[in-house]
Amino acid sequence: MSADAPKLLAVENVVAGYGDRRILDGVSFTVDRGEILVILGGSGSGKSTTLRTIVGLLPPLEGRVLIRGRDVNAAEPAERDEILRDVGMAFQSAALLNSMTVADNVALPMIEHWNLDRDTALMLARMRLASVGLARAGEKLPSELSGGMRKRAGLARALALEPSLLLFDEPSAGLDPITARELDDLILSLKARRDMGIVTVTHELGSINTIADRAVMLAEGKVVAAGTLTEVRANPHPLVQAFFRREALPPREGEKTLLEELEWRP
Amino acid sequence: MSPEPVLLPFPERLDADPRDLRRSVLGQARGSTVVLDLSGVPALDEVAAARLLRLAAEGRAAGIDVRLAGLSEDARRLLADVDPGVLEEDLASPKIRNPLEMIGAGTLDAIDTAASVSTLVKDTAFGVARPFGKKGIRWDRTLEQMALVGADAVPIVVFISFLVGAVLALNGAAQLRQFGAAIFIANLVGISMTREMGPLITAVIVAGRTGSAIAAEIGSMVVSEEIDAMRTMAISPVRFLVVPKVLALALVMPLLTTLSNAAGILGGYLVGIAALQLSSDAYVSQTVQSLFLNDVITGLAKSVVFAVLIGFVGVYKGLSVRGGPEAVGRATTSSVVTSIILCIVANAAFTALFYFTE
Repeated sequence: MSADAPKLLAVENVVAGYGDRRILDGVSFTVDRGEILVILGGSGSGKSTTLRTIVGLLPPLEGRVLIRGRDVNAAEPAERDEILRDVGMAFQSAALLNSMTVADNVALPMIEHWNLDRDTALMLARMRLASVGLARAGEKLPSELSGGMRKRAGLARALALEPSLLLFDEPSAGLDPITARELDDLILSLKARRDMGIVTVTHELGSINTIADRAVMLAEGKVVAAGTLTEVRANPHPLVQAFFRREALPPREGEKTLLEELEWRP
Repeated sequence: MSPEPVLLPFPERLDADPRDLRRSVLGQARGSTVVLDLSGVPALDEVAAARLLRLAAEGRAAGIDVRLAGLSEDARRLLADVDPGVLEEDLASPKIRNPLEMIGAGTLDAIDTAASVSTLVKDTAFGVARPFGKKGIRWDRTLEQMALVGADAVPIVVFISFLVGAVLALNGAAQLRQFGAAIFIANLVGISMTREMGPLITAVIVAGRTGSAIAAEIGSMVVSEEIDAMRTMAISPVRFLVVPKVLALALVMPLLTTLSNAAGILGGYLVGIAALQLSSDAYVSQTVQSLFLNDVITGLAKSVVFAVLIGFVGVYKGLSVRGGPEAVGRATTSSVVTSIILCIVANAAFTALFYFTE
C-alpha cells in the first residue's frame, strides 16, 4: 500500500451520542488491512457506540468516519450501501434474523447484493459456516444454537460478502474460556488468510493479549491511550494501569470520599 | 453556603416516619447548610443509611448542603465504601409544566411523529413503485405474508361476519315485521354488509390479528438488533420487511372483505328463511335488486385504505420500540388501538363523503 493511499478505516474526531448525552467525545484512530485493533475500556466507555458510529447506525454529531477514504455518513444512499458492503459487523448478541435458518441468515446478504440464486447462495453460506466451524448448523434456527455458536454464525454472516473490514463487538463476552479462545484463533486466522482489517471491542484481557496488534483505550468517550499493545500497556494513565492489572480504579486526584463529602467539620 | 448551619438532631429510629425530618431539611432556604446530628443514634443499618443518603442527595438537588455530625464508628464503616456518586443521582422532582409548555412539547412530538411516518410512507411508496428487478419488491416475502395475513384469517373473518349478518337480520326483523316488510331485511343486510360492516369487521379482525403481529415482530427485531444488523448489511428494512407486509395487506384485504360480505349476507339469508319463513328465491332476488356495484366497490375501496392504515400503524409502532420486551407489548397494544380508531375515523369520513357527494 502506498504511503498516501487512504486508510482502510479512519475515525476522525468523532463526537456521537443519544439526545443530549454525549457518548463519544473526539475519538480518533485508524486501521489498515492485515491488522487487528482492539478497542478497550470499561462498561459504558463508548466501545460499542464506536462500532455503531463506524457503520452509520449512529451518525456522528461532529467528525467523520472514512472507509477507504469515503465518508460513510456523507455518502448518498447508493454509495453508502456500496461502502457498507465492504464492512462486516458481528454484533455482541449476533443479531441473527430469528425467523430464518442460520444458512438463510448467512445467504441473505449474498442474495441481496450478489444477485445469486438461492441454492448457490445457500451453498456459499454453508461454506462460510464451515469456515467458522459450523458446517452442520445451517438448517438450525438461531434459537437452537448455543451462545458461542450464535456468535460464530453472526461472524459467518459478517464475512458473507468477503469484506475488507470486520467489526466484532465483544467476541468472547459470556463464553467459556475454551470457546472464547477458539473465537480468538478464528479472528487471528481471518487476519492471516484474508488480509482483513479487524476492529474488535472487548474487555477480556486474555483476548486482548492474544489478538491485538494495536489498541485504543476509551474512558468516558475519550481516547486515553492508543498504540501497539506494548505502548498502551506502558501508558501511565491510571485507568490503563488499573485495567491491565485488574485492579479497582484508584480515586482521582482531588476526589473526595463520601465521608469527606458529608461529614461536618466546623 | 451559609456560615450558620442549621443543626437538626437525627431521630433514633428513622424507620417509623422519616417525613418530618425530610420536611425539616428540605424546608431550609436554598444555599443553607443543614447538619444532621447522629450522636444520639446507637446504630445505623443499611436501610437507615440509604434513607440518610437519599435525604442528602435530595438536599443537594434543592441547593441545601446536608452534612452529618456525630457519626459512630459503625456508621463510618458502613459509609466508607460507598461511592460519592450516589449523591449525584438526578433526584429533582418532575417539574410541573405549564399548559403552554405542554402544548408546545405535544406539538413537537406530533411533528416528529408526522416526519417519521411521512418518511416511512415515502420510502414504502418508492419500494412499491419498483415492482420488479434486483431492488424491486420481494414477491417471495409478499406471497408469504399474503398467506399469513389472508388465507390464515379466512375462518375467523367468515365466522364473525356470518354472525354479524345473522344478528343484523334478527334485529331488523323485529322492526320490519311490524310493517309487514320483513323481506327488506335482505336490503338491510346486503347494503350494511357491503358498504359498512364487511370492510369494518374485516379491518377490526385484521388490526387485532395482523396489525398486532406486525408491531410485535418488528418491535422484537428492533430489540434484538436485527433491524440494525440489516442496515449494516446494506439491506433496507423497508424493502425487506415493510413493503411485503403493507402490500400483502393491501392485496388481501379486499378479498377478505368480499368473503366477509358474502358470509354476512349468508348469515342474514339463513335467518331470513329459517326464522322469518321468507322464501329463498325472494330473499336472493331482493338482495340482488338492492345491491349496486357501486356499494360493493365503495366497500372494497375502503378496505384497501384500512389495510394501508393497519400496515403502517403496525410497522411504525414496531420500529418505534425502544427498550425491552415490555416496550414490544406496549407497541402491540398501541398498534391495535390506533389502527381501530383510525379505521373507524376513516370509515366515518368515507361515509360522510359518499353521503354528501351522491
